[in-house]
Amino acid sequence: MANLITTLDPASRAASRGWSDTTIRNVFVIPTVAFLIIFNVFPLLYSLGFSFTDFRASSKAPVNFVGFKNYINVLADPVIWRTFSTTLWYVIVSVTGQFIVGFGLALLLNRPLPFKGLLTTLLMLPMMLSPVVVGLFWKLIYDPSWGILNYALGLGPVAWLSDANLALYAVAITDIWMWSPFVMLLSLAGLSAVPKHLYEAASIDRAGKLYTFFRITLPLVAPILLIAVIFRTMEAFKTFDIAFVMTGQPAAELISSRLYKMAFQQWQTGPSSALAYIILIMVLCITNIYVKYLNKAKER
Amino acid sequence: MRKTMVSLLAGASFLALNSMAVHAQELTILWAEWDPASYLQELVNEYQAETGVTVTVETVPWPDFQTKLFTELNAQGSAYDMVVGDSQFLGAASTGGHYVNMTDFIAKHDLTKTMAPATMKYYSEYPGGSGQYWSVPLEGDALGWAYRKDWFEDPKEMEAFKAKYGYDLAVPKTFKELIDIAEFFHRPADNRYGAAIYSQNAGDAIVMGVENSVFAYGGSFGDYNTYQVSGLVNSPESIEALEDYRKLFTFGPPGWGNAFFAEVNTAMAQGQVAMGMNFFAFFPSLVNEATNPHAANMGFFANPPGPRGEDFAALGGQGISLISYSQNQEEAMKFLDWFVEEKTQKRWAELGGYTANAAILESEEFRKATPFNEAFFQTMFKVRDFWALPEYAELLTEAADTFYPYVVNGEGTAKETMDKLAATWVETLTAAGYAAK
Amino acid sequence: MAVVSTRAGRLGNRLAITAVILVTLVFLSPIYWITSTAFKPLVLATSVPPTVVFEPSITPFVKLFTKRAQLTAPVDPAVYEAAPWWEKLILDGGERLSRDGKGEIVYSAYPDRFINSLIIAVTSTVLAVSLGTITAYGFSRFRVKGEADLLFFILSTRMLPPIVVAIPMFLMYRAVGLNDTHFGLIILYTAFNVSFAVWLMKGFIDEIPKEYEEAALVDGYTRMQAFFKIVLPEAATGIAATAVFCFITAWNEYAFALILTNRRAQTAPPFIPSQVGTGLQDWTVIAAGTVLFLLPVAIFTFLLRNHLLRGMSFGAIRK
Repeated sequence: MANLITTLDPASRAASRGWSDTTIRNVFVIPTVAFLIIFNVFPLLYSLGFSFTDFRASSKAPVNFVGFKNYINVLADPVIWRTFSTTLWYVIVSVTGQFIVGFGLALLLNRPLPFKGLLTTLLMLPMMLSPVVVGLFWKLIYDPSWGILNYALGLGPVAWLSDANLALYAVAITDIWMWSPFVMLLSLAGLSAVPKHLYEAASIDRAGKLYTFFRITLPLVAPILLIAVIFRTMEAFKTFDIAFVMTGQPAAELISSRLYKMAFQQWQTGPSSALAYIILIMVLCITNIYVKYLNKAKER
Repeated sequence: MRKTMVSLLAGASFLALNSMAVHAQELTILWAEWDPASYLQELVNEYQAETGVTVTVETVPWPDFQTKLFTELNAQGSAYDMVVGDSQFLGAASTGGHYVNMTDFIAKHDLTKTMAPATMKYYSEYPGGSGQYWSVPLEGDALGWAYRKDWFEDPKEMEAFKAKYGYDLAVPKTFKELIDIAEFFHRPADNRYGAAIYSQNAGDAIVMGVENSVFAYGGSFGDYNTYQVSGLVNSPESIEALEDYRKLFTFGPPGWGNAFFAEVNTAMAQGQVAMGMNFFAFFPSLVNEATNPHAANMGFFANPPGPRGEDFAALGGQGISLISYSQNQEEAMKFLDWFVEEKTQKRWAELGGYTANAAILESEEFRKATPFNEAFFQTMFKVRDFWALPEYAELLTEAADTFYPYVVNGEGTAKETMDKLAATWVETLTAAGYAAK
Repeated sequence: MAVVSTRAGRLGNRLAITAVILVTLVFLSPIYWITSTAFKPLVLATSVPPTVVFEPSITPFVKLFTKRAQLTAPVDPAVYEAAPWWEKLILDGGERLSRDGKGEIVYSAYPDRFINSLIIAVTSTVLAVSLGTITAYGFSRFRVKGEADLLFFILSTRMLPPIVVAIPMFLMYRAVGLNDTHFGLIILYTAFNVSFAVWLMKGFIDEIPKEYEEAALVDGYTRMQAFFKIVLPEAATGIAATAVFCFITAWNEYAFALILTNRRAQTAPPFIPSQVGTGLQDWTVIAAGTVLFLLPVAIFTFLLRNHLLRGMSFGAIRK
């Protein structure tokens, strides 16, 4: 482990007093990395192993090595492809929505306001709820007969969750409601870090508001905003509880719901592990792109 | 790093020792969270009072029940001594070695004689006809119907119905009549609808509902002994039954595409529908004034026969099984000895459980005890069940995925749907090593 | 902001306040609906059309803390008269209290589950935030070989759909005896959250100019003192935000709590939605359980609000 880390930062002038920088660095970094390795490597390798077998966790039948058969079968299954594209569209809609609402709210809140702390706390309430409960109650809210939404908005019997064309958006709306506050809070932290003197300079230059926003605000907030978006994208890809509780429309079936059905209802441990690895690779690729952008944004 | 590992392991082994302490005088039963589990807890409290053995009924939410149970079983966990499991679990749990074979126990207590035959066949025996038993029927259940007596008996409605359909408005004598009645009462403009049925694409909801009509129409979900599927799942009878189920669905409340037992009862309690299909276990709340303002107007009937006189209904319910990894098997067996005694079964029925004991079911006392017990009694002698193979869950999700687009979204035809299901099932069964055709 | 002092700015400010209040109201309406459900009689929770105005009752909260069963016969008036007020509420709702063999009332598992949740969420949050902060500092200030790869590895631990590792995790926990223990869930949630904590804290610490610490080092601080006295206070916003998010994740985790724990260490989330009586989902009890369960997180967030909003104040000497 220690080999991973090179010699100490020459800038240090405190090496002679207290812990040396090397010690501090090792003490700070190694436990976490080691902890994550120990905690993740076993289950990851285990499932990787499963993914090449016909193992069913529910049966004691002998386990056979099947090579890439599970991967091939999963990739040849049109239902999987349908749920993949549904998920991709869901991630786009949901994360974009969260970004717009969350960042928009942060821009509105980024000024002296009465009861700002209370308002922020109230706005964060949705994300404090358990996803299963959120799914259940939004199902209640969306119900065409006894739901409050159609009634309050005077919409008539719109069948949000059982209409094939609406269900996915209904779930996305719930997700946006729940997670915009996450983007909001992080954006707010980023916005408040923008040095005031930059704005002052801009106003002396008579720079337009839009110009100020795009040339000063956005670049400075970008890194923390990207971190928020990275995490929301990863989570949206894995969305399961909310969608699973709310609707059974095939048009709104997400890849994680399919995965859950395979892994825990049908106990197809082998194929479901293969599917999980395919999802992992996709998320890795997408996240990688984001991280590249993040590094670029930081270099600025 | 080594230190971290050592201390982690030390902590872990300490905890392991802690959790391995065995309490012989305690038994734990796993079930889903619902009222019958509360009744069972009350029943076993009496066992505790008699014997001093503490029995705890531990519950998890219904949608997670299967997941929780099989995760525990697959890892050979001993956290639970017994489980009250669904009939479809039998194949997976018995061939997987998770359940203790109860054949001797059943013989010792002569349960094949004292329990209603269908409950032994479906809750306990696996494979079908083998004479090998894996559980004691605990909670009998099946699909039945609730209806609005006041609407059915309204003279104006009766007259209008007779004029339109040429026969008297009454409890339907056939499934076709049931559809007529649903159509008759379907008046969206007045927020009144014909019938509330299962439509949820999760667990066994929509499949149970379709099963109910398929069985009544003389169709089938395949031959569970020969694994023949083609020509049975997509037989003309099965196709007609699915078509009519879809028809019935269109007479449901708006946006009825995500309904299971709770939604059906809610629609009944809110006075939205004329009829509701549900498990008998969920009917008590419909006759409870506090939960249903229309409780006084509730009537109940057994699933009516199909157009050719076949008379069947879809089975629910559970048996109690002994888990192979339990460290208290002897104690658990003693408990089951007590549970199958006639007086215990009687008490179980009094507390609100649905006993499977045939003598109690047939008794006047039981049949008159609630407005739905008579219908329950009739139903329990004409039930059929789904596949119970270890691969049942695949068959179940495939069926739900296939039915849903047709029943709820109206995509394709009933024939296409059933043909597709037959083909899918042949493929799945063949892949699992059965000689399916 | 400087722009605020102009008249247009003031108008803009007023518009912004109005918009914030409107959006807040929209965001709160589902929460209001849940809360109002927690005070409704069961029949009104799903009335057609929905009931907005009603006489609130605390029956759902009494139900939340007791075990009940459906009444199958009318209550004996003598029993009803003898019952305490809260039992009367249950009886009025068509249910009776479950009693054990000795006739004692059986209480629900909710308080135990709630306490388990508190222990597990608080401990794992402290662990995740501490580990995350120091690790982020390590990555931010020192040269670590393969830094980018290590960071990406840390991030990647959060990418796999967690349900897939549930089975291996269960086997692993069983092997070392961690299933159904508080410690087991604590380290699991710490592992979940630490990747997020590292990334978020690194984002914040990267923004703190190194010059601050270097000045402190020149003044005779050790590196550790500089970390505790200079960096941590500067990173307070990040720590607060990270803590809030980690706490929320650990507080609401459902799947692993369900699978890995039984009666001893199980947390509240799997308990709350399971209120299904004989055929009616008891929305009022689910709502009551949800509202009470929301309080600790809401209070925690409210207490940290000033830290959350203070923002990073060091921008002035940014490079």
